[in-house]
Amino acid sequence: MRRFKILEYALASLLRRPVKTAAILVVYTLMIVVLATVLLLTHALKTEAVNLLADGPELVVQRTMAGRHELVPVAAAQTVAAIPGVSAATPRVWGYYYDSLTGANYTLLGVDAAEPSLELLAGRLPQGDGECAIGAGVAAVRKVAVNDDLILIDANNIGAIFTVTGIFRAESRLLTEDLLVMPMAPLRRFFGMPAELATDLAVSVRNPSEVDTVANKVKRALPDSRPITRKELLRTYHAVFDWRGGMLLALFASALLAFCIMAWDKATGLSAGERREIGILKAVGWDTADVLLLKAWEGLAVSLLAFLLGFALAFGLVFWWGAPLLGVVLRGWSVLFPELRPTPYVDLYQVATLAFLTIVPYVASTVIPAWRAATTDPDEVMRQ
Amino acid sequence: MRRFIFALLLCLPGVAALAATPPQPGAKDRCAVCGMFVAPFPQWTAVLALKDGRLFYFDGPKDLFIGVLDTANQLPGVSPEQIAGVYVTEYYGTRLLPATEVIFVTGSDVRGPMGQELVPVLGREAAETFRRDHAGKKLMRFDGRQLVEITGQP
Repeated sequence: MRRFKILEYALASLLRRPVKTAAILVVYTLMIVVLATVLLLTHALKTEAVNLLADGPELVVQRTMAGRHELVPVAAAQTVAAIPGVSAATPRVWGYYYDSLTGANYTLLGVDAAEPSLELLAGRLPQGDGECAIGAGVAAVRKVAVNDDLILIDANNIGAIFTVTGIFRAESRLLTEDLLVMPMAPLRRFFGMPAELATDLAVSVRNPSEVDTVANKVKRALPDSRPITRKELLRTYHAVFDWRGGMLLALFASALLAFCIMAWDKATGLSAGERREIGILKAVGWDTADVLLLKAWEGLAVSLLAFLLGFALAFGLVFWWGAPLLGVVLRGWSVLFPELRPTPYVDLYQVATLAFLTIVPYVASTVIPAWRAATTDPDEVMRQ
Repeated sequence: MRRFIFALLLCLPGVAALAATPPQPGAKDRCAVCGMFVAPFPQWTAVLALKDGRLFYFDGPKDLFIGVLDTANQLPGVSPEQIAGVYVTEYYGTRLLPATEVIFVTGSDVRGPMGQELVPVLGREAAETFRRDHAGKKLMRFDGRQLVEITGQP
């Protein structure tokens, strides 16, 4: 009961200094928003990448010549498929297209009739020549709808007309935003790619423990090839997003430093009014423990309020409003930005880290000076 | 002759039941020998099917054989005569196959959930490839009652 009385007193004393409390709250909340946004967004992007790659092939085989990516012979698929443990090796045709009209880059992908991973489609997949399906980003930037025509310039610098048969509506638009899909044969003609060559090979391996062995064997059977396992891709994505998140955090380290200075300022210098208050409380019979409890309640109340406010704001920014400012930096540098709608997810470990790094120092910096004032003689404290 | 065919027809449902590959383990199924959950290791699952329809799951061929070769101690209430089928997950294809159809490679660098494993590989050629790739030692065969080493060149 006494504890709640002290809590009540702490809240009342915060409200007695509304301007000071509000100033601390605003700065504190802002800092939490920035830090939590970076953490949440980095985590969300990493999760998205993992989800995307989960459906991808276990192994991608590229061919290199003079250290550059080269087209791989379709016949190499048979060599790879003969390796024990490989259940399928499919040649893929895909590439990039720069649209000078809009200044955007599209990804063009050739599909055979049955493509399991591209099911989230409004309309239907392209079947014959002169048909294509496009991502929502392409549709928006070129202002086309289903059954409209889309004109692209092919390898011979001649305009090719494609009828849009469908628009992708993937839940995670990271994958299909800039995508343009058409059957393999017309795409080869569009790119001017010979029929016996493909962009790379998608290899599926049934047993995950065998993927590395298969990659080694591919390297031995096709010395000019470069096998990339899904694990390596994931690691690269993690490294990239971690690096970008780290860069941002480094930039905002100054903000953190400013906050620390503010906390330090509070810690070293208790205002004369506050010292007198502590002195009076001691004089009317409060214990040192009671004073410390009072200060701890004050610090906790401010910290928790700022933390909850800041974290809720960051959560909304990342998962509802698509991280308007920081998202651009973290996602990458591209013209056709996928609209970011990551699946809301909060990592408790991150919350705990953030809370520990902000709440504990703040509460400590409010309690320690109070403890120093409270242990001196009240008469002396009030006289100063 | 007709009686023989009739007898054969009578046997057919039984044969079909024996030949059917057992279902994959559920999330709650545990290894009958070591007690670990089986579902997280689909590429290692091994199954012992009894004639009365009961199924015992194992998290690898090693634990399967510990159980099958020593039913008296490891699987109380199961006698060798009750065994209808023994299945292991083939390494390259990750499909359940009868243990008598595959070759087991010992001493390889491929670790299962319980460490060193007898890795089941289908076909002599694939088994030799696996032995070469993963520094395997011996090739073994399961003859229905015990593991026998395969010696000699293919």
